Amino acid sequence: MIGLCVFVGYYLGAKIGFALTFKPYPVSVLWPPNSILVAALLLTPPRIWWFVLLAAFPAHCAAQIQSHVPPLMILCWFVSNSSEAVIGAGLTRYLVRGPIQFTSLRNAAIFCLCVVFAGPFLSSFLDAAFVRWNAWGQGTYWDLTRIRFFSNALAALIVAPLIVTWATKGILAVRTAGRARLLEACLILLGLLAIGFAVLYKFGPGADSALLFLTLPFLLWAAARFGSLGTSTALSIVGFLAIWSASLGHGPFSGGTAEQNTFSIQIFLIVLSIPMLFLAAVIEERATGETERRESESRFRIVADAAPVLIWMAGVDKLCTFFNKPWLKFTGRSLEQEVGNGWAEGVHPDDLQKCLKIYTEAFDARKAFVMQYRLRRYDGEYRWISDQGVARHDAQGNFVGYIGSCVDVTELINKERALREFEERVVLAAQAAHLGVWEMDTTTYEIWMSDGARTLLQFDSETSLDHGRVQDRVHPEDRALRDSAVKGAIESRSEYEIEYRVLLPDGTLRWISSRGRCVTGEDGTRLIAVSIDITPQKEAQDLFRLAAEGSHLGVWHWDEVANTLTWDGATRDMFGVSADAEITIDTFYRALHPDDAERVKQTWRQAFELRLPYQIEFRTQRTDGTIRWVHARGRGYYDEAGKPLWMTGVLFDITDRKEAELQAHQNRDELSHLSRVAAMGELAASIAHELNQPLSGITSNAAAGQRFIDRGKVDLRELHDLLGDIVADGRRAGDVIRGIQGMVKKDVSAHRRINLNDVVISVVHMVKPSAMLHSCELGTFLDPDLPMVEGDPVQLQQVLLNLIINAFDAMRDTPLSRRKVVIATERDADGFTRVSVRDYGVGISAEARERLFEQFFTTKSKGLGMGLSIVRSIVESHGGTIAAENADGGGARFQFTFPASAKTSAV
Amino acid sequence: MMIPPNSLVFAIDDDSSVRKGLTRLLRSAGYRSEIFESASDFLKREQHAGPACVIVDVRMPGLNGMDLQETLIQRRRQEQLIFITGHGDISMCAQAMKAGAVDFLPKPFRDDELLGCVERALIRSAEQRRRKAEENEAQNLLGLLTPRELEVMQLVVAGMLNKQIAGELGTAEKTVKVHRGRAMRKLNVSSVAELVRLTEKACLAPAANI
Repeated sequence: MIGLCVFVGYYLGAKIGFALTFKPYPVSVLWPPNSILVAALLLTPPRIWWFVLLAAFPAHCAAQIQSHVPPLMILCWFVSNSSEAVIGAGLTRYLVRGPIQFTSLRNAAIFCLCVVFAGPFLSSFLDAAFVRWNAWGQGTYWDLTRIRFFSNALAALIVAPLIVTWATKGILAVRTAGRARLLEACLILLGLLAIGFAVLYKFGPGADSALLFLTLPFLLWAAARFGSLGTSTALSIVGFLAIWSASLGHGPFSGGTAEQNTFSIQIFLIVLSIPMLFLAAVIEERATGETERRESESRFRIVADAAPVLIWMAGVDKLCTFFNKPWLKFTGRSLEQEVGNGWAEGVHPDDLQKCLKIYTEAFDARKAFVMQYRLRRYDGEYRWISDQGVARHDAQGNFVGYIGSCVDVTELINKERALREFEERVVLAAQAAHLGVWEMDTTTYEIWMSDGARTLLQFDSETSLDHGRVQDRVHPEDRALRDSAVKGAIESRSEYEIEYRVLLPDGTLRWISSRGRCVTGEDGTRLIAVSIDITPQKEAQDLFRLAAEGSHLGVWHWDEVANTLTWDGATRDMFGVSADAEITIDTFYRALHPDDAERVKQTWRQAFELRLPYQIEFRTQRTDGTIRWVHARGRGYYDEAGKPLWMTGVLFDITDRKEAELQAHQNRDELSHLSRVAAMGELAASIAHELNQPLSGITSNAAAGQRFIDRGKVDLRELHDLLGDIVADGRRAGDVIRGIQGMVKKDVSAHRRINLNDVVISVVHMVKPSAMLHSCELGTFLDPDLPMVEGDPVQLQQVLLNLIINAFDAMRDTPLSRRKVVIATERDADGFTRVSVRDYGVGISAEARERLFEQFFTTKSKGLGMGLSIVRSIVESHGGTIAAENADGGGARFQFTFPASAKTSAV
Repeated sequence: MMIPPNSLVFAIDDDSSVRKGLTRLLRSAGYRSEIFESASDFLKREQHAGPACVIVDVRMPGLNGMDLQETLIQRRRQEQLIFITGHGDISMCAQAMKAGAVDFLPKPFRDDELLGCVERALIRSAEQRRRKAEENEAQNLLGLLTPRELEVMQLVVAGMLNKQIAGELGTAEKTVKVHRGRAMRKLNVSSVAELVRLTEKACLAPAANI
């Protein structure tokens, strides 16, 4: 595309150039191809110049061959023409640093110097030399040089700006121009054509040459209104009209010889063009500057209005000229009210004098200032404002006034005040808490101490203190510790925390806990520390340690992070580990009794995971083979994220207790057995009845059989049924006996999952005859959804049996019609399984209720007082509870309750 | 062994083993029997027209053996009671025997013992029934007499002479004689001894001290 444009342009330019040659004068008045080439180079980046030149070459050849120029001359001219374009465009590009625009005086000057003067001037010597060498034209070398220079300089002035301006902004301007502007452009064009035609064509060479000035108004008009674009266009019109007229022998430049005419035209046009180009550039420069200034001002206002601060501006006369919207919104006043000194009306009367003084003094000295004053807000409230002002200067560095920004600092000031009050309170609180605060200069080791700290260490308020004096108070054994802690913190600019003892002048010894931290400020590094008297805590700790030693309490500590376990002496003793042995978690695991190890580990892990305190009883197996029972309690400590940090706890040696418990357990089994036997005695009648029933069946059936046989008429079917009934009755009798054996047998409890309803049913069956004997009705209410419990069925039968027999006994004096025992099972709301035995007897007296479950307490004349105490021990060994109460409507209700999945805790 | 005609044995026990054994034993001895699970079931049945005995367990849920005895006495029924019991309770035994029980047998009982009791009971029941029938007959005869004739006959049975009777009743000796002759004819007796026997059967007490 560029190549084609250059080719066509160059070719046409050459044709025009030939057309504008005054015959027989062989040199063109204006030679456009070179200018077109230079314009093309000015508009394109240097890296494609070779391409532009390449495109121009065929056009050059084509144009020259038509003029019968010898090939060598064609080539030589192309070289000289190209060099002119490259010199002009290259220099311009170098000086302007980019494509040229006729928008500033500087650019116009560079253009004239490089393209108009330097390019043609330098290339003309070459050109002339080529012409002479080829012996193509006439005239001397200098003449050729001069003619070519002027011809090319004029072309550069007229053609190059035309192409450049139109290429860079002309097309855009036409496209975006309004109708009025296009009309104006047309007016200038028509006016210029008319005047030009009249002056340069119609008038003869004898006419007054001053008439040439008639073109000036239109040129100026074009420059003023259309800048470089208008000027370049107008100049080209005038130029072509002038040359065209002269070439036709018309106009003011047709009087002399061709050479003279050419020179005249050239001088006229050069002299006219250069100032016009400069004028256009100046006008455009001004216009651009004006626009930019206007834009920057409005941009400033937008920014100022959008800023979150209050902004004002003042002129050189100290009067304010501008307040941004936030300011006006803040004061609730209009710009008209605020300008000048209007703003001062809003300043608090108490602050106004000081405020004006700072302002004027800073203003006169052209110094920046910061001041705080109260300014009335739109709602009438005075707010504290921090106002910063700086002098303003324009681009030339002239002082043009002040600009300032203000921020509402009321909240800040209030906070500062609150903070100050808070600090005061902290100091008071520290005093009240016997907290000592002190500061040390880390270079001089001088110390400032609060009254609290002085009281603590028994220094009077006058004594000047330093590190050494304080060290004197410290217990000799702790001095090194404290010294290294304090100095270490200073050296590493960090913190320290220590506990140490002090020996005070009054002879007392106190424990001090101290925390310090290095603070680096403007005045160097200081160590700030607080100290507190922890003697009471220390004494409590000592007491605890003593108590722990005295009570065989072991203390342990597990550090999860460091993976270390610490045991005190008592703990080591419990695990059978020597005092100097190294303790690891494996030591702990190894020392556990194998049967308990897994349970202990699991409990421990669970407690840590669930973050709950735990307690557990387990056995340890000491290295000497002895076994100790230990009760352990512990809890974990966690960081904010819930990560376990450490766990600590205590251990009690409960071996003695455990042994006693085991003994008691055996005793209880023994007693329980005795009690069962006793209960069976009470049930003897009942048992007899239970046995007699099937025995009756057996004897009756057997006797009947004998009789059938004796009578000699044996119905075999009858006999078969008869024998079947005998077998069934025999089995029934066997079951009764097995039941009795179960109750009387002395065996270790056998736990399994059972339904308490089954237990109730079996016991009711067992006592039914007894109930009849006591003329007592037996009722049951069994919950079908009873959860299973873990337990020993025989022991639980015993519990029920005891309670039911007691119920019978309690109803000896109850009228027959009211004698009734009701046994009920139910699952209560908490998921507990409850079994109750209710009678309609005498109830429980207040005195009896207290001691009901005690051993050897009885209300029966023949009772041992063992029954209920055994009942209770059995229920409790199943993890349950038992209670007795007087029921509504008379009689007593005994009920025992088991947790849903109650397990025995018996070991 | 003699089984009175039309006799029936009832057995009441809440235990099925006992019931089954009793049924078979009674059948093997040739008795007709009916078995009940409870006393109240038995009482619902209409009274048997022939000699009857009841074997009953002392201790049962609901109405027990002693309660049944009391009820039957109140209703003047002739069923003879044999008590059986799984418990050997003496006090009850005494009470039951006093109230007319045939026997009180502890379980397990011997078969011949029980069957002997049944036989005795049935005989006693039959005897009682016979006596009851005679009483009814005598009472029917006595019912034919006019009040004055009955008055006279009561004084005769008391051993008074006609003269004494007339004095007692404030009438003439002749009138007494007429009443006496008419009554003897109505009662179909020919001697004072016969008259006395008849009144005894009717359980009519002589008006000795009127």
